[in-house]
Amino acid sequence: MTAWILKLAQRLLLLAALAGVGGLICATMVRFAPGFGVDERELDPRLSQASLEAIRKEHQLGTGLLSYYGSYLFGLCRGDFGTSTFLERPVGELLKERAPFTIRAVLLGLLTAWLAASVLALLTVRFPSWLLDSSATAFTGLLIALPAAVVALLCVFLRLPVFAGVALVTLPKLFRYQQNILAHASAQPFVLAAQARGVSRNRILFRHVIPVCWHPLAALLGVSASMAFGAAIPLEALSDSPGIGQLAWQAALNRDLPLLTSITLLVAGFTVGINSFPKAAHQEQS
Amino acid sequence: MSGRRLLRIFCYSILSVAFGAALFAGTITKYSYAAQFRDVPNSPPSAMHLLGTDGLGRDLFTRVIYGTRVSLLLAPAAAFLATAIAGILGGLAGLRGWLTEKVILAFADLSLALPLLFVLVALRALLPLDVSPIFSVIATFFILGLLGWPASLRVVWAAVRRLRQSDHFLFATALGYGKTRLLLCQVIPNLRPILLAQFWISIPLFVLTEATLSMLGLGVMEPLPSWGNLLRGCENFSAMAANPWRVVPLFVLIVTVICLQYILPTSGETA
Repeated sequence: MTAWILKLAQRLLLLAALAGVGGLICATMVRFAPGFGVDERELDPRLSQASLEAIRKEHQLGTGLLSYYGSYLFGLCRGDFGTSTFLERPVGELLKERAPFTIRAVLLGLLTAWLAASVLALLTVRFPSWLLDSSATAFTGLLIALPAAVVALLCVFLRLPVFAGVALVTLPKLFRYQQNILAHASAQPFVLAAQARGVSRNRILFRHVIPVCWHPLAALLGVSASMAFGAAIPLEALSDSPGIGQLAWQAALNRDLPLLTSITLLVAGFTVGINSFPKAAHQEQS
Repeated sequence: MSGRRLLRIFCYSILSVAFGAALFAGTITKYSYAAQFRDVPNSPPSAMHLLGTDGLGRDLFTRVIYGTRVSLLLAPAAAFLATAIAGILGGLAGLRGWLTEKVILAFADLSLALPLLFVLVALRALLPLDVSPIFSVIATFFILGLLGWPASLRVVWAAVRRLRQSDHFLFATALGYGKTRLLLCQVIPNLRPILLAQFWISIPLFVLTEATLSMLGLGVMEPLPSWGNLLRGCENFSAMAANPWRVVPLFVLIVTVICLQYILPTSGETA
């Protein structure tokens, strides 16, 4: 029991460290970006030198990078994510407001994509035929060839919700991975042996093939979460959905460091967390 | 001749035409991609303008050809950079093992966990939005190349580990091959098919990512055309319905990406 708790604590620490490193790398790069901290108001000729100095001071975010990190991490410990320079609102409040939209869209989209991809992959493996295989490959091939932003425009045009867009972007990749995993498992010698012994096709698929595929499929869960989050940016930005994806896009366009750092931290934590579940399950079994 | 082989030849032909058009854009069209015909904005296809003109009166055919040059020639460059990084880091992790391996793989895991598009948007935010078009093209594809390596690294690392445990590698080590000789005679020749496959896999990925970035206004800047910023014309549905030929850039992009997918080597060919 103690060993299990220690393992869990170690994993959580690693998770926090990885997410923290991701967020801080992002902060470092934005902090040193050319033109960082320049305010449009500085171009106003009516402002006095004192006002200009005050504006510059407002954007300095501490004297250097280390002091910025220090104050950011100290604030983070108290639950303070800083204030968005672009929207002039507390970042924590913005994230709290918008996260539910994205999380709902990502979860619903992933659920839809996983269901559709699994059904399609199982069908192509259970009923192998040229027509079914070619149709599924052509359909998913067409979807893969569409940039996520074009899928977003299609969703706007067809008045589809954001989760449908997330599902459309992740479905083709999930289908191909799942089909490959199932086909690989179906070609194993024990499947051939079961076929030779006259075991029914359904029994082979559900009792022999699918159980072998659990681990690679679980690993795919983490990858698909990362894909879905990536897809949420163009989908939310172009369909004007008030989620984290749209916020990230606005933060990038307006070079809003506190907002960008916090979103990176949040997304890194979420995706690294989801990715670590299959790994932990795999290590636990082996 | 098998169906797959025939399909591949067909895809190679289409890609050859696309690459040819990209290389000889200046010969194929007489206009500049930025030249404006202000008296004929939004004009339909005609003998003068094969695909009509956009809202600013620029020849759409010329812009598609030059956009193909930008997207189709720079995506392989970015793919080369990403594959090179994956090859070097994956090779290092696989050959050296222990701490180097752990650090490189942890960094790759973190990069893999973060959505590529999200990191790209964050990184692109480093550059001012009013950079010159040429700089925006180079920066966009350079960033793509710099960030596109983690998935390939995992594949390379696994291959190097397999190689390290193989009999012929052991035999070469027993024969007293030096590190450089091992690298040049054993590792690189054995990794070549894997690296080549990773290179081809990355190209469509980068083409599509550039398209999405440019559609979000964070990619290639106007007036330089790329498939991504040409697709921004699709945002106006009423204009699209009135001028259906504006779908041509999207059609070209889809056909090219599908062809790039079909010419990818299968797992059996890579092995």
